[in-house]
Formats: sequence, C-alpha cells, structure tokens
Amino acid sequence: MNALVALCHFCELHGPRTLFCTEPLHPPFPTPSQAGAPIPGDRESDREGEGLTMRANSSATQRGDMCEVSQMTLTNSFCPITILSDHLSFPSLFPSLSLSLTLSLSLTLSLSLIHSLSLSFTPCLSPSLCQGCRSLPASHPGFVSVDSETGIRFLSHQHPRQPQLFSVVRQACVRSLSCEVCPGREGPIFFGDEQHGFVFSHTFFIKDSLARGFQRWYSIVMVAMDRIYLINSWPFLLRHLRLTIQSLQSTALKVFDSEQCVCPQRAVRMNSVFSPAVFPHQRSGNAARSLPSLTQHTNLWASLHSSFSWLLKACGSHLTEKLLEGAPTEDTLVLIERQTEQEEEMSCWEGAEGGGSRPQCHQSESELYRDFLFDEGKVEGYPGPKFRSLRHLRQVLGTTDFRQLAWHVLMGNQVILKGADPGLIHSAFTMLKALLPVGCVRSVTYSAQYEEAYRCNFLGLSPDVIIPTHVSSSEFSVLVDVISVERGSLYSAASSEDILSLYQFNISSTNSQPTDKGPTLLNKIEVALSNENLSVDVVSHCLLCLKEEWMNKVKVLFKFSKVDGRGREDTQKVLALLGATGPGEEDNVRLLKFWMTGLSKTYKSHLMTAVRGGERPLSQ
Amino acid sequence: MLHAFVLSPPSLSLSSWSSPQLDPSQIRLILYQDCERRGRNVLFDSSQKMCSSEAQVKMYGKCCQLRPTGGSSNSLDSSCAAEAREPREQGLRFQGLRCSSDANMLGEMMFGSVAMSYKGSTLKIHQIRSLLITPFPSPGSSLTSSQASSYQRRWLRSQTTSLENGVFPRWSVEESFNMSDESGGPSLGVARKKKIAIGVIFLLSQDEEENIKFQDFFFSHFPLFESHMNKLKSAIEQAMKMSRQSVDASQRALAYSRMVDGLNEFRMTIVNLYTMPRVAEPVWLTMMSGAPEKNQLCGHFMRELALLMEQASKNQFLPALLTAILTNHLAWVPTVMPNGQPPIKIFLEKHSSQSVDRLAKSHPYNPLWAQLGDLYGAIGSPVRLSRTVVVGRRRELVQRLLYVLTYFIRCSELLETHMLDCTEDEAIVIPGSLITTSLQRGEVEESDYVLVTVHKPSGDYLSQGPEPQEDSSYPSHSNNSLQCSTYTEARCGGEPDVQARCGGEPDVQARCGGEADVQARCGGEADVQARCRCGSTDTLEARSCRSCSAEQDKCILISVTIPKGAQQKKGAPLNDCEIPRNESSDSALGDSESEDAGQDIHRQSDSDTYYRDDQEPDEWQEEVEVPFPGSKLVEHFSKPSIANFGRSLFGGYCTTYVPDFVLQGMPNDDKLRQGLVSELAHAVQHPVLDEPIAEAVCIIADTDKWTVQVASSQRRATDNNKLGKEVLVSSLVSSLLQSTQLLYKMNLSPNFCIMHLEDRLQEIYFKSKMLAEYLKGQTRVHVKELGMVLGIESSDLPLLAAVASTHSPYVAQILL
Repeated sequence: MNALVALCHFCELHGPRTLFCTEPLHPPFPTPSQAGAPIPGDRESDREGEGLTMRANSSATQRGDMCEVSQMTLTNSFCPITILSDHLSFPSLFPSLSLSLTLSLSLTLSLSLIHSLSLSFTPCLSPSLCQGCRSLPASHPGFVSVDSETGIRFLSHQHPRQPQLFSVVRQACVRSLSCEVCPGREGPIFFGDEQHGFVFSHTFFIKDSLARGFQRWYSIVMVAMDRIYLINSWPFLLRHLRLTIQSLQSTALKVFDSEQCVCPQRAVRMNSVFSPAVFPHQRSGNAARSLPSLTQHTNLWASLHSSFSWLLKACGSHLTEKLLEGAPTEDTLVLIERQTEQEEEMSCWEGAEGGGSRPQCHQSESELYRDFLFDEGKVEGYPGPKFRSLRHLRQVLGTTDFRQLAWHVLMGNQVILKGADPGLIHSAFTMLKALLPVGCVRSVTYSAQYEEAYRCNFLGLSPDVIIPTHVSSSEFSVLVDVISVERGSLYSAASSEDILSLYQFNISSTNSQPTDKGPTLLNKIEVALSNENLSVDVVSHCLLCLKEEWMNKVKVLFKFSKVDGRGREDTQKVLALLGATGPGEEDNVRLLKFWMTGLSKTYKSHLMTAVRGGERPLSQ
Repeated sequence: MLHAFVLSPPSLSLSSWSSPQLDPSQIRLILYQDCERRGRNVLFDSSQKMCSSEAQVKMYGKCCQLRPTGGSSNSLDSSCAAEAREPREQGLRFQGLRCSSDANMLGEMMFGSVAMSYKGSTLKIHQIRSLLITPFPSPGSSLTSSQASSYQRRWLRSQTTSLENGVFPRWSVEESFNMSDESGGPSLGVARKKKIAIGVIFLLSQDEEENIKFQDFFFSHFPLFESHMNKLKSAIEQAMKMSRQSVDASQRALAYSRMVDGLNEFRMTIVNLYTMPRVAEPVWLTMMSGAPEKNQLCGHFMRELALLMEQASKNQFLPALLTAILTNHLAWVPTVMPNGQPPIKIFLEKHSSQSVDRLAKSHPYNPLWAQLGDLYGAIGSPVRLSRTVVVGRRRELVQRLLYVLTYFIRCSELLETHMLDCTEDEAIVIPGSLITTSLQRGEVEESDYVLVTVHKPSGDYLSQGPEPQEDSSYPSHSNNSLQCSTYTEARCGGEPDVQARCGGEPDVQARCGGEADVQARCGGEADVQARCRCGSTDTLEARSCRSCSAEQDKCILISVTIPKGAQQKKGAPLNDCEIPRNESSDSALGDSESEDAGQDIHRQSDSDTYYRDDQEPDEWQEEVEVPFPGSKLVEHFSKPSIANFGRSLFGGYCTTYVPDFVLQGMPNDDKLRQGLVSELAHAVQHPVLDEPIAEAVCIIADTDKWTVQVASSQRRATDNNKLGKEVLVSSLVSSLLQSTQLLYKMNLSPNFCIMHLEDRLQEIYFKSKMLAEYLKGQTRVHVKELGMVLGIESSDLPLLAAVASTHSPYVAQILL
C-alpha cells in the first residue's frame, strides 16, 4: 500500500514522539521478474549519499545565517544553537530543504510551541538519556525486508529519511497524540488533509509501573495520500492493528504485574512527599523507559518491523481486482500456435543433437505479426527498390492489375511472383499478406523450383523456373512476371525508388470470373487505398477492421456449416444476416470459405469440444 | 473479530443483497459553532427531544435572535447561546436545556483539543470503544489526466497517491463555508475566528451482525456518504445564511425548517442507498466469476435478451438504450480489447489482465476506486460519470431490462483475501512474548458509535482585492537569494496555491494562545488525571468515558467544521501537466502569514532531532535485513458482497430515485423531474471518484413511452417535457443486436451467441481505433468524410468517439 506506518509515543518529558517508522519502497516499474534483485531503493541510497555530502557543506555555510534568524525569534526558554544543530543533523537533507525547514522553524516560533514549551522542559536533563523517545540506538542502521514477490522493500528507521515524509509523520504523531480527541483515549481515529497526508491512528496505553498513572500512551499511525483508500481500509486496519496492540499490551501487562509484585509502586508513591515542582524530576532516571524494557522484549523493533511490513503489504492486497480483457484475435492465436510449433520442432532437433541452449523468446503479439509480415526481417537484407505500402503497390501495378491480383489473394488462389529481384518480390508479398488473416497465409517467398498450391498461396520464383502447365492453365492461380527493363546502370541512386523505371509487371491468369464486382471487402479496401487523405496507418487500421469484421462472419459460418452441420437453407439465411449476400455474393462466399481455413486450431477445437461437451441449443 | 468480516458468500439465490436495515431516525445531525470569544456551542441537534417539532420551531425562533452586538454575530445562534456570555456557562446551560449530554464530548472530538491551522476542511473519523468519527474535506479540483486505458488509469492512481517522492497534494484546499450572500461582502473582522462543525451520527442497531454490515458498507461506500454530506452542508449553509439575514422570527423558523429538510433529505438518501433492492445477480460479474452453471447462465441471459428484443422493439427502444449504455458506461471497452496472451481453456472466459494484476501487487492502488470508476463509465476523456434509470409501470419488464443491462455495464470484480487466523498470529508474532489473539468482544460490542465530523477552518476570509498583490509579493517576501531560488522551484507546479496566500490569522495561535489550555493538554498531567480519575485500569476508564457520552445507543456520527462568514472559494485546479510541489510545506519559504500546523511540527521536530548529533552514524549503512513475513500469509479468496460496488450499485426496481445507483428501475419519473438537474450538477461539483469530472449524465429509459433520453449536467433539455436529449440509434449496435438475436433464434447455442456478441463489440473497438488513427493530427473533420472514407455512419459517430476517447484522449477535442 502507498502508505507508511509509525509507532508514536507521548513522552512525559518531551511530548509526542515518533519512535519507529516503516515505509515501503516500490520498484520504479512493475517488474516482478526482477523481484528479489536489489532494484529500487538504490536510487534512494544514491541520493542519500549526495544528501550527506551536501549536508556537510550546508551546515558549514548556513550555520551563521541561521543562528541569526533563530536568535531573533527564539524566546528565552530555548537554546538556539541546539535547535540549529538538530536541523542540520537531519539526515539526507538537500540544501534547499534544510533551509526551508530551518526557516519554517524560525517563522513559526511565534506560534506557541505547544508541546516543547509548555512541558516542564528541563534543559539540565540530558535528552539522550530519554529512552522512551528512542527506538533504535544511534549506531543501528535500521531494518529492511524485501518482498520477493513484488520487489517492494520495506525499510524501518526511527524516522523516515526523506525530509518531507519526516514532517508528515511528525505531524501525524502530534495530531494523534495531542490534538485529536478519542473518548477513552484509546481507539482509532481518521484525520488528515491534502497538505500533510491522511492518517489512520490508533491510540493505546501500555502499562508501566513507574509511569504516571501507571501507563504510557502510544499510537500507531498509518499515513497515506489516498484518503479514500485509507478510509476503505478502516475495518481491515482496525482488525489488524488491534491484534498488534493487544499483543504489546498483554506482554507489558505481564511485566507490570511482576514488577508490582516485587515493588508495589502505589505504596511507594503514597509514602513519598508530593511536590509539584520536583515531581517530574523525581523519577527522571526512570521516566523514560523504552518499549522493549516495558515488554522485556529485546527484539521488539525487529518484530515491529516485520509486523508493520506485513501490514503494509496485507492492507494493499486484502482487496484485489479481477479485470478481464478481450479474447485474442484470431491472428494472434495463429501466430502463437505457429511459434509454439516452431519451438517444439526446434526442441526436437536439439534433443536429437544432444541439447543446446534454445533462445527462449516470447515475443509480443505485435512483434510476432511484424515478423510474420516481413518474413522475420529478410526483406531488409536485400538491396534495391521495394514496395512500401499497399497503396504503393497499387500505384505501381495500376488499379486494374492491382484489383485482379488482390482478388486472387483474397480468394485463396496461388499468387506467383517471378523475377530476378528477391527483395522486390519479398516486399510485394509483405504488402499482399496483410490482406489476409494470418492463418490463411502460407508463403514461400523465393524459390528455385515450383511449389504446389497446397503448400503455399504466395510463391516467389527466380526467372528461370518453369511453371508446370497444370498450374499455368489453372484458373486458381495468377502469375506476375517481373521483367527487368534495361536502362543503363541498374540501381542508380536517382532511380532506385522508381520501380517502374526498372521493372515491368505482366499479370496473367486463366481465371474467367469477373474480378471487379466483389468481394465487398475488396471494394472497401480500394476506397481506402484510393483516398490519398488517409495515411498508411489509417489504411492499415481500416484493413484490420475489415478483416476482423469478416473473420467474425467466418466464425459464424464455421459454426453453422462445420460444427452444427446445418443445411443449405439455414446457411443462406445466416449469410444474409451477415451481410454477405447481395452484389458480389459469390465472391463473398468464396472469401468466407477460404478464410475458414485460416481459423486457429484453438478456436476450432473450442467450438468442437463445446458441442461434444453437451452444449445444446436452448430450445431442445 | 475476523469472523465478523467474513460475509456470507454470494449465493445464487436472490438473497445476495440481504435486505439491510436502517431507519432515518438512526441518523442524527449535530451542529456546532466554535467561536474564539464565546467558546463552543451547539447550534442544532436533531436528537434533542422536544415536545413536538412545532414547539421546537417556536422555541428556536424565539431564542435565536441576533445578538445586540449586531454585526459581531452573523450566525444562527443557538438557543443555548442566546443568553450565555461566558463560554464556561454554556456547558451548564446545555444541560439545563436538555442538550444531549454527549454534546461536549462530540464537540471535542470534532474540533480536536488543539486546533490545527489547516485552511481547508479536514476529514476525521473516530471509532470510540463506542464510537466512530469522520470529518470531510470538500474536494476542489485535482490533476486532470488522460487515462487511456484501465492500466494507465490505475498506474496513474498509484503514482499520484504515492508517498515515495514526497507529498503532493492533489487538490488545492480552499473551500470554506459559504455564508456570504452573492451581493454583500462578508463581515470580515468577526467572521474569521469562527468555525462551524457539522456532525452526523449514525445510530447502529442492537444487532451486532447488522452493525458490522453497516460499518463495512459505510467504510467501503465512504465517497458516496461524503458526497451526500456535502449536499447537507450546502443546505445548512443556506439555512444559516437565511437566518443571519433576518431578525424576523418567522424567517428564522423557516431557516430552521430548511435545516430539518436538509437533514431529512440526507437521511432518506442514505437509507435508500442502503436498503433499496438490488439486482441479485449482475450478469457480467456472475459470468466472470466462472460460475459452474455458466451454460445455464448464458442460456438465461440470451432468453431474456431475446424476449426483450420482441417486447421492447417499439421505437427502436432496445437498440437506442444499448447505444446510450455503450456510449456512456464505457468500462466494456477494456473487456473487449484483444489481449496478446495465449488462450485459456474455456474460450468464453476472457483473460484476466495480467499486467493489471502485476501492477496491483507492485504498485498498489485502491481497487474499490477503480471499480467505482468503471461502473460509472468514467474512463473516457473528458471524464464523464454516467448512470441509468429505467422507468416504467410494468415491473417485470423493467426488471428484465435491468438484468440484461448488467451484462453491458461492466466493472472489475473484487476479491477479498482472508488471512487465516493462525497465520495472522504469526504475522504479528513478537518473539518471546505472549500473544493474545482473541479480541475483547465486550469492548467491541459496546463500541457502536460511528461519528463523522467535517472540519473546516475558520476565518480565512478572502478579500478579493489584495490577493494578487500578495501573490506578487510572495516570492520576494523574505529576502535571501537561496530562498528565492527554492521558491521558484516550488512554484513550477503552475498555479499558485490559494491556500498558501489566503492570509488569515493562524489558527493554532487562536486556539492555543490560552496557555492554560495548552498546558493542560500538552503537559498531560492535569488532563490525564482528570480523565482517568475513575481508575487506573483500562476498563474502568473506558466505562467512565462511555458514561460521559450519555448515548448508550449504538451509533455513527458525521460532522463538518467550517469557518463562518467566509466567502466561498473553489479550489484552484492544480496544473495538469506537472505534479505541483507542495507549497504548504514550502510555505516557510517566506509566507509568514500562512501559518500551518506543519510548521509547528517542524518546530517541534527540534526536540525530536535533539539527540541527532551524537546518534547519527557517520556514514549511511545498509539496513539489517529481516526476512519478509509474507511467506506466512495464507490466503483464500471470496467476493465481498457489501463492500463491492459491483453488487451494491446495481439497483433493482425501486420505489424512488437513488442517485448513487449506477443502474436502477422505478415506476415513474416524477422524482427525476424534480431533482435530476441539481443532482447532476452536484455530481460534477462533488465527484465521488476523488478526481474531477467533466460531465455527469443520466440515461433515462422510459418503457411506458418507449423513449431513451440522456440528461446531462452540461445542457438543459430544450423541451420542458423532456428530461434529456433523445438518443440516436447506432447502426452498429442495432446490427449487433439483430445478428445476435437471429443466431439465437436459429438455435445456435447461447454460449456461441454471446461469443458472437463479444466479437461484435470488439468490432466497435477496432472501428474506434481506426477513427482515432484517422483523427490523429487532424484539426477538423467532416462527418461526411468519415462515412465515405472509413465507412462510419453518422449515427455511429457518438459511440465510436466515446469509445475512442478511452484509448486516445485527443479524440474528443477534435470531434466535439
């Protein structure tokens, strides 16, 4: 939780004091993988070092000024030098902040110093003897615990090290022990504001046979900036702080009882002469008993550190959220399936070769898709001109030829590009692949021999390869011959981007179907491509929308025809519902049928098992 | 104690919101004035048992005369104070007038024993071995931030509430009690040292289980309570203003009755919020929880949806309603955003977001807050808070609609971790000590007050004139070049904090100047002795205190303390782009006027650091590592049912309008016609989400007239017969409904129909992505162009723009 927890004490001699404070340090970003590694606080410790050096500096240079300020405003009951040194010895001060603290001191002196001044303050009493106001000894560096699950480090010191937090906790401490009123003086209070943070405080007494009224007053405060969160956590905090408090109280009670047995204080006190003037001093030697001494528990601070650390974590995780995201797209599923297959293949290979380190790369879906389109970066490897976008391809081929080529792509026909420049052919496929769902793409981007249509619907061939006649005569294939145009030197710098100055494209197919009616999807793509106002990115979003829209129709058709095995009439009905009928209907249906082959195995098997698993239409 | 918080597991029966009980009379209002000169007195206490309300009004009218000193008292003086000049006498007079005997204690709790000089109102909650208190700060406005996705929204929340980089107030805190009328200026000199405290006490029932239920409800729903407190506060403001302006007894009686009205409205709202019926099984949340009867649930949902498609086909009613829902309750969007993770076995079960899971662990934020924002659909940009009311006399039809809509109004599900008793003990184990694990039940049982107080500062009157000058003089105020440079740094946050400059006498001084008081408090001795006279053991003492608070009944109190006579000053929004530096804590840099409790804290920290010199180790050392106790944490999960907005804010068919409900049904729109406009305005002024809201809307679906209208805080309906603007039916939504219905009609399995529905919702998301991409870098866009080029119909545009604003905040600026 974004909060800190502190134990505070109302010292009979010094008023409200912060004894012990636990704060979490979160890793800069959620990186659970790094958990356990020393991540976050090191930044803090760097600053710390800086702070210390600067402090040395500032104390040297500013001491004079501040003495002046202080002396002007301080009243006689205070020794300015002492205060000054307090501030200067504050840990990890930046010069500016130390200044601000000091100034605030001088400026607010006109206010009544509620506690320090009005207490029967005794300068003769060396304050360092007051054990009641201290937790860890000076030499103690504090405690740290690392939550390996999240990488959060929990640090405990007497005070927070950051100056601003120091004063926030100080404020919480003073308010909880001397401003806010709780009937019975024991119990929970919430208070606070945006300036100083919000505080859940629980005050309580600890038995002390030597203390006034035989008890000392403490509070545990939890400080946070998230007001609502803190209030929401009230029941939780109350429940758990009470357990901690009760365990402290009961331990102290045992000590108290045993001390009273040895030396009943009530009798001692009643027999002694009471003098208000010396009263506080009478017991000064014992007035400042520490909490470990009251509980006779030597590891008390380490325990409290554990307890507070746990509380901070538990409070932040006692309510958790389950947040759903959408199902992955079919493209993502197919890409993941393919990657898994590859990995399995590779591990088989490696198993055969006796092992070896396989690079464990889990890519993000967008990386996968990029690799898919660009054939894992092969395109970049080739010199020479390339197609930059579908629109570019369309401009180079001309609208009629592009339409024809795209039509064949969408219908699932084999698209063969034959030419001497593998880079150019690669780039053409990269653009054309984007027209189809990933699951519908099988490509051999450049080959020295013909590959059958069932193996690939995108095939790149070197110019000398002879295409079998059953292919060249088939209406289910389209051939694009990329012919080099000899015009002086190839790849001259000036013309390298001008594909048409280098190549000529001849498209041939025996297909007799008209390609200018449908499918609907192609018509829409062409509208987007022809509008020069649309950026390439918008076009690709547009394409994504269209593909997703049609994939959703594919899913319904698959469920209908392949899973439920519905008849022709029903199918026709559903096609009409899906908006696949009307002009270009034939092409739409062909497209849907082809795209069905691209559904992920995951999806298909899910639908199949759902049926087998007893999923029944409701009406039956 | 632990068992007390394990709520009954949500069952599939209709009893998941097991009719809790709360009577209006369980809510008590107590109003204080704290004045430097005359001390503290009770202005109003609804628990004062008078013979009759009429008699009370008369008595009140008679006694509450303006004091002869005229301008020096601009308050609604209580009858008790009328004759009492000396503060000390007042307590006695209270007794004489049968003021409740706990008034002193409550006042002390609300004001504190030492006043803080903080200028804004402060929030306090006490829970006494009999009692619990909360005061409220009124929010101004805070950082506006573009929240592009659920993840970012949560991440940002975690960051803005983090303490690690120091303390950065998210709100500038300047709002005082508005006692000035619009025309006249406040009477400055007098007003400044007065505070008003408004307290509301909730009397809990004798039934312990009911108490725990109410407390869970109270603390989890605190933002809603707070918002109603703010409304009550304004009612009281109005009443006090009215009373101040007139010496006429009848006017004063009227003012009194205004106050009573305000209280009664508050009471009714809280009682309604707590006790009105709920939708027993919100569809989305139930489906999401992976109920074993999922097939059955899908079947039931599809059947209801199909029925509605037929029953509510008139006027395109259902498509219109769904269009409005999807446009405003936007939390469905993240639930269809595709996720890149490998699928899990059950396809219909979507992925729970792993990035958000990780975030919650490493950078905790408040899941309740996140859920509330989801439900109100406040995840777009600009942030819009939405709720939906289905109106109609045909109860069954309305309930069917409510049921179906709980599929589309979505939010995250909350899970509660229960730590087992034994591990809990381990977690707090203090080695070598004896641990008591059982709670003292008796104490808890007797502790059944909840007292809520709101504190507002006194007297920081804001003169309109001198302010700017003060501003300009601020940096150079206290010399010293170093100081100035620091100051500049502190100022980089942008808008100067009003609070830092607002002047006004430091409060601490006013309150603590009396040395005797301070000594008694802080010296501790006298005070402690007085309080603990009754005995030295805890129990005795607790009892004695309880007996001081005459109210033996169990209750909860809320109160607000506010400065009187001050002009209202809305909090200035802090700069958007940068997290502002905390000026208050830097106020020491030169503004001697803005005294601040933080400063006397600095002062006191002297003695804290008194011993530093010899203790400070020369070099910073690594802390001693202690193993994290987390391994001992054993958890099991359950769904909280009361402390869960996903269960509490889906109202059923209610008898009246409950403004906090995200969704509800009711027989007619009379209540809406009376109060919707002010309700929406209030929702924007006092956002329950702890962040600024740009617009509040209410979707009103009338099944009697078959109309769907959207009322907005930003525009009034032009036609008096209408509550809001008619909804344009989105063709995307209409086709989504049609195809889903047809699939269902053709006997495709309900599960598949729902998968299809989700796919179609995802299409809307993709289209919004395209729209956002298209609008990127554009300044002006013609709707026609969108239609021709992107295939976006104008009827879909509002929907797509709203959806796009959840992931691309710039969209709204270009299209709207």
